[in-house]
Amino acid sequence: MVQYNFKKITRVPTGKDFVDIILSRTQRQTPTVVHKGYAINRIRQFYMRKVKFTQTNFHEKLSTIIDEFPRLDDVHPFYGDLLHVLYNKDHYKLALGQINTARNLISKIAKDYVKLLKYGDSLYRCKALKVAALGRMCTVTKRIGPSLAYLEQIRQHMARLPSIDPNTRTILICGYPNVGKSSFINKITRADVDVQPYAFTTKSLFVGHTDYKYLRYQVIDTPGILDRPFEDRNIIEMCSITALAHLRAAVLFFLDISGSCGYTIQQQSALFHSIKSLFMNKPLIIVCNKTDLQSLEGISEDDKKLVEEMKSEAMKTLIGQGGEATESQQVLLTMSTLTEENVIAVKNAACERLLDQRVEIKMKSKKINECLNRFHVSIPKPRDQKERPVCIPSAVLEAKSKELEKAKRKLERDNENENGGAGVYSASLKKHYLLADDEWKEDNMPEILDGHNVFDFVDPDILHRLEELEKEEGLLQQQDGEEDEEMEGEDLTPEQYKELAEIRKKKSVLIREHRIKKSTAESRPIVPRKFDKDKKFTRERMGRQLSSLGLDPSKAIERVRSKSRGRKRERSTDHGDGMDIDGDSNKKVRLRSTSRSRSRAPVNEVVPGEGYRDSAMKIKAFKMGKSSVHKRNKEARKGEGDRVIPTLRPKHLFAGKRGKGKTDRHPVKSKHMKADSKIGTTLYLMLDPVKSEHMKADSKIGTTSPPAATGFPQILQTSSSQHFPLISLKEIRIHPPASSLLADVSFYSRRSRRNSPRRRRRYHRIAFER
Amino acid sequence: MRLEKCWFCSSTVYPGHGIQFVRNDAKIFRFCRSKCHKNFKMKRNPRKVKWTKAYRRLHGKDMTQDSTFEFERKRNRPERYDRNLTENTLKAIKTIDKVRFRREETHHKNRMKGKAAKERKEARKEHEQQLHMVKAPGAKESTATSAQVKVNVQHESSADNRMEE
Repeated sequence: MVQYNFKKITRVPTGKDFVDIILSRTQRQTPTVVHKGYAINRIRQFYMRKVKFTQTNFHEKLSTIIDEFPRLDDVHPFYGDLLHVLYNKDHYKLALGQINTARNLISKIAKDYVKLLKYGDSLYRCKALKVAALGRMCTVTKRIGPSLAYLEQIRQHMARLPSIDPNTRTILICGYPNVGKSSFINKITRADVDVQPYAFTTKSLFVGHTDYKYLRYQVIDTPGILDRPFEDRNIIEMCSITALAHLRAAVLFFLDISGSCGYTIQQQSALFHSIKSLFMNKPLIIVCNKTDLQSLEGISEDDKKLVEEMKSEAMKTLIGQGGEATESQQVLLTMSTLTEENVIAVKNAACERLLDQRVEIKMKSKKINECLNRFHVSIPKPRDQKERPVCIPSAVLEAKSKELEKAKRKLERDNENENGGAGVYSASLKKHYLLADDEWKEDNMPEILDGHNVFDFVDPDILHRLEELEKEEGLLQQQDGEEDEEMEGEDLTPEQYKELAEIRKKKSVLIREHRIKKSTAESRPIVPRKFDKDKKFTRERMGRQLSSLGLDPSKAIERVRSKSRGRKRERSTDHGDGMDIDGDSNKKVRLRSTSRSRSRAPVNEVVPGEGYRDSAMKIKAFKMGKSSVHKRNKEARKGEGDRVIPTLRPKHLFAGKRGKGKTDRHPVKSKHMKADSKIGTTLYLMLDPVKSEHMKADSKIGTTSPPAATGFPQILQTSSSQHFPLISLKEIRIHPPASSLLADVSFYSRRSRRNSPRRRRRYHRIAFER
Repeated sequence: MRLEKCWFCSSTVYPGHGIQFVRNDAKIFRFCRSKCHKNFKMKRNPRKVKWTKAYRRLHGKDMTQDSTFEFERKRNRPERYDRNLTENTLKAIKTIDKVRFRREETHHKNRMKGKAAKERKEARKEHEQQLHMVKAPGAKESTATSAQVKVNVQHESSADNRMEE
């Protein structure tokens, strides 16, 4: 069984898109770099490849389009006709034909241009050919743009067509618009077709599936057909006509007895007669719908006659099939889709008729003989004449009979609908609870009480246990009452309590202070006590503290006062106007030095145990200690290990012109040795007495003096007119110009380490040694 | 709807509170608040964390076994609803709570029994040993003299100066 599925057709791009896709693919998947310096063959190959690649892609894509769209002649005539009805066969074929032509054109273009490219003689020419080729291919594609768009639309529509298998068991429903075809299909299948009061609600074919005798049946709902001449029919009606014409199916012709569809029985029967030619060889059932509005018996005589006519027509098909003539039930049926009366019966009848017909056809065909040999139905021979009827337990029989009596059971759903619908009414879930007393059904039992789960406490014998607990509790309480309170030891007096409180307060204060001191010790410098910045160590305070302890502070304060030197003003000789009678009082104050307490001996006195022989030794030791520290202190160093140099090259020492004295020692840098340089840049050579005449005037060494008559070796004179004696080369040192000195300190200073602390101390000028 | 116990601190977790953690071995840990949850993530043992019920029970601060605890037991099979039974249960819960509370109080009282005596002893000892912080050992008792002494100091110092003249 071929399944017709038009959903798998690939998307057809628009003309422009198509061009874009192909060109970008060419760009990405072929090499992109070519230079005019390459060999000509290579250039030709490069461009030929591009052209061929583009052509192949076009060909491929267009071929897929052509292949995937169904050819109307090859598919089942039902689909062929359906597609023709929907899309017009000619247009469709034309479009596909255009695509085909385009494909061929592109192939031709490619062939031609490749032939030309084979003889391209420069990069420019090859490139131009390639551009032309691609351009023409793209124009061709752009020209078929409208066809592509049309095919895309067709494809989208085709994908949404219902997948109808033309060869399987099918039931076709047809009739006037609004007679109840879609409601019927909704009832028997899971299809959800729109049912609306206006005509032509169903605009295309709809498929549903239903089961009968373990077989699947397709049920096809068609749009309504009006009674018109064939040529005047519109596309929608043509759909149903096509279906009727091509599908081998059981046909259910729907008749609206009540006429509420807007058409009388006469009109409907007229339609019937006009399309009865389509019912050839199809099991036909006439279904009278909407019997709830009007029963079949209640219609007028004329209508009855018309119905009879239709029935007789239908019987003809039945007879043609070989069925019994008496079975009028199988041909004319009444039902109502609203009340669902007889709907299943109609379906069963239709399915049965169709099945019979198909089986008959199969039996008559030649192929069946091959299969028939393989079937064998065996019927067991009866052993004896004893009757063995079916065994059905009585309870089941009763239930069955009850079921037949009972009207349709009322569902909760109906209840809900009655009482206001889904959002308004909520069914009581406790309705069917089985409890000891039915009054308790709607009780709300609390789940939580006082932080406990009630369910955890529920127990059938909870009362009993509770009693026990109470008894226990009673006993315990008695026991507790019997115990006395023991008073061990005596209490402190209230004054003692007060003192204790004070003790504790003081302790806590000390502890707190200690904690603060401890925590800030690292970050805060601790001021030595003698500086007393908090002014904690005053006389008055001491006095207060002592008196709070219960002591007499007067003596202590007196002593402290006497020991202090007093204010400077008091000590100074002229006390304002010098009119002091008692002049020596101030003198005494002045002279009275603050004598230290006798806890420490004077410095020069040797205390046994310190390790000095005598005081002279001690004094010397102190002096030595001080002298070793003196230099460091002057250099502002913390100690021996302090080697910090804050700035290595302070600018004021390393910039500026050379001062007096330096200029003598460090001459100016110059490329040529100047004659008036005092030292250094002149070279003194040992000259051969013989060669002295050959000494050239433009020697780079320096100026020459006019050759002397004597054979004595020439000595180059300097401006300073100092005559240097003959010196050997070994003794000559070449002194480079001064400005490079500063850069290459290491080369000339004896102590060559750059940053040695000894050499480069803070603010000491670097001294050069020669 | 059920009230659960927090795994860490054993307090009740009401609906809408806390976090539930399900481990890969399907053990469920419920926490009443993020404090317990974070402690759990830090892998702290509730038996060592002072404020949890587990610690308190382990170290005897709270009552451990009692017949009132046996009333509350997780039942897996629900009982058929019976109004009278439910009424009785609700009343029973209240009395059980009262009993349990009373028993916890007695437990606490027993625990704290010797405290007053111990405190008094300590106070006496501290007073004895640390009295020097408040009252100097050789100090006189009267407060009137101490005030007088203060005044004397000021006069005497000026007198001294005059004497030296």
